[in-house]
Amino acid sequence: MQASDAKKLAASPYLLVEDWVSIGVRLAGQVGIVIAKTFYYLLRLQIDWQESIRQAYFIGVKSFLIVSLTALFTGLAMSLQIAIQLVQFGGESAIGGVVSLALIRQIGPITAAIIVAGRVGSSIAAELTTMNVSEQIDALKVMRIDPIKFLVVPRFVGAMMMMPVLSIYAMFIGIFAGMVIALVYADVSFGVFLDSAKAMVIDQDFFVHFLKAFINAAIVIFYSCAIGLNTRGGAADVGNAVTRSVVWSMTVMFIVNYIVTDLTYEGPR
Amino acid sequence: MTSQPIPPSSLPSFSKASEPMIKVEGLRKSFNGREVLKGISFEVFPGEMLAIIGPSGCGKSTLLKLITGLLEPDAGKITLNSEQIGLVFQGSALLNSLTVRENLALALRERKLPKREQDKAIMEDLTLVGLADYIDSFPTQLSGGQQKRTSFARAIVNDPQIILYDEPTTGLDPVMSTVIEDYMIELEKQLHAAGIVVTHQFSTWTRTAHRAILLNQGVVVWEGKPHEALNSTNPYIIQFAKATREGPMLAGKV
Repeated sequence: MQASDAKKLAASPYLLVEDWVSIGVRLAGQVGIVIAKTFYYLLRLQIDWQESIRQAYFIGVKSFLIVSLTALFTGLAMSLQIAIQLVQFGGESAIGGVVSLALIRQIGPITAAIIVAGRVGSSIAAELTTMNVSEQIDALKVMRIDPIKFLVVPRFVGAMMMMPVLSIYAMFIGIFAGMVIALVYADVSFGVFLDSAKAMVIDQDFFVHFLKAFINAAIVIFYSCAIGLNTRGGAADVGNAVTRSVVWSMTVMFIVNYIVTDLTYEGPR
Repeated sequence: MTSQPIPPSSLPSFSKASEPMIKVEGLRKSFNGREVLKGISFEVFPGEMLAIIGPSGCGKSTLLKLITGLLEPDAGKITLNSEQIGLVFQGSALLNSLTVRENLALALRERKLPKREQDKAIMEDLTLVGLADYIDSFPTQLSGGQQKRTSFARAIVNDPQIILYDEPTTGLDPVMSTVIEDYMIELEKQLHAAGIVVTHQFSTWTRTAHRAILLNQGVVVWEGKPHEALNSTNPYIIQFAKATREGPMLAGKV
């Protein structure tokens, strides 16, 4: 909490809430402009493919190791919890289905997105804010180059290329972790695990998986770019922009994740 | 004071017979309720270099941002007779992720030149500023003076009709300042562009400009030829040129 926030909280908590709402509304407007302009260039196919591929490498390839580790341990912990509960009720044969469904619809996309928000979103916010502070963004504008076309579009395209790949990769790593846990703690063979998964998982679940992956990628890129392009000041502001980018991306991602889950849920209510 | 003002005849001549290249009328701009510019007006003709001088925070850089369109004025009018504008930023503002060649190529993007012509234009400009050997270096591999010269090359690679300098010699050593001022004079001769230099460096505005206007608290308090500054009776320009504490500029601030 900044000093000004602490003063407002002491005066009246409503002032602080009013402040946060006003910041959120302003940021939503900035994100809206970034989204509109990005799609303007995308629809006209004004895309720098070389830079987009460079961004895809940075966003995707360089995230594989950290995604592997987080997906592995998230899968292990979640599968262990599920296995323990199901074994108590004699439901070992359902472990594969429950674990796979959770990983495909929820954990896979959100794990990859959290890593991308932390690793890539923060880096984009820092880079763009630094460019703003050092007048590099102004230099682009003077040369009549739209910073959104030059900086945001390639990052968005790169993220769209790589996020589904990272997401499906996180899912497979998590399922592998689930298979190991099911074998070790519940004596469920890989074959039984996969049969259970095949029985429970339907095509719609993969659609939800990819939908979430694309939406999460868009949220991280648009929020981090909007914050970076609209922050000026000095070194402290770069740090604040990084924090705001990660906090806002993740908050919006979790809210949208719930909305998508609810809208795509087809079972009984 | 690091150098004596050079006589105006050393600068290339210009004529007021043609239309002004830059015309600023009644420009006003406020930030957070504080009026930074309070109705500024001036004209700059082709081949003329105008220095905008004044203490820190008097609105000099804001004025340049308004002229380049980076800021919108609250009131007043800016008329530019050319769309080809080059701006040399105070901090160079080179894109650190691109090489010197790529930074200059960025400025040529709109013209969509064939690769060979683009490379030729870039090499000519870098040769002019003595940085041809650094064409594939990244900005972080260059010294402050070299970055400033690259920023120069980027500003002129499009043969601009209007060239703007934001504190071009601030933060440089006296020798490098003289080198940069010499480039500015050389460019005036070669491009015959209308120029504005925003500075508070005595040597820069007295050596490179045909005319100067002194801003203080958002208004023009003196206008004249640089070599006339020291002989003026205007207390603002006397204080600014002689860099003394006594005078109207610090009134109520010390």
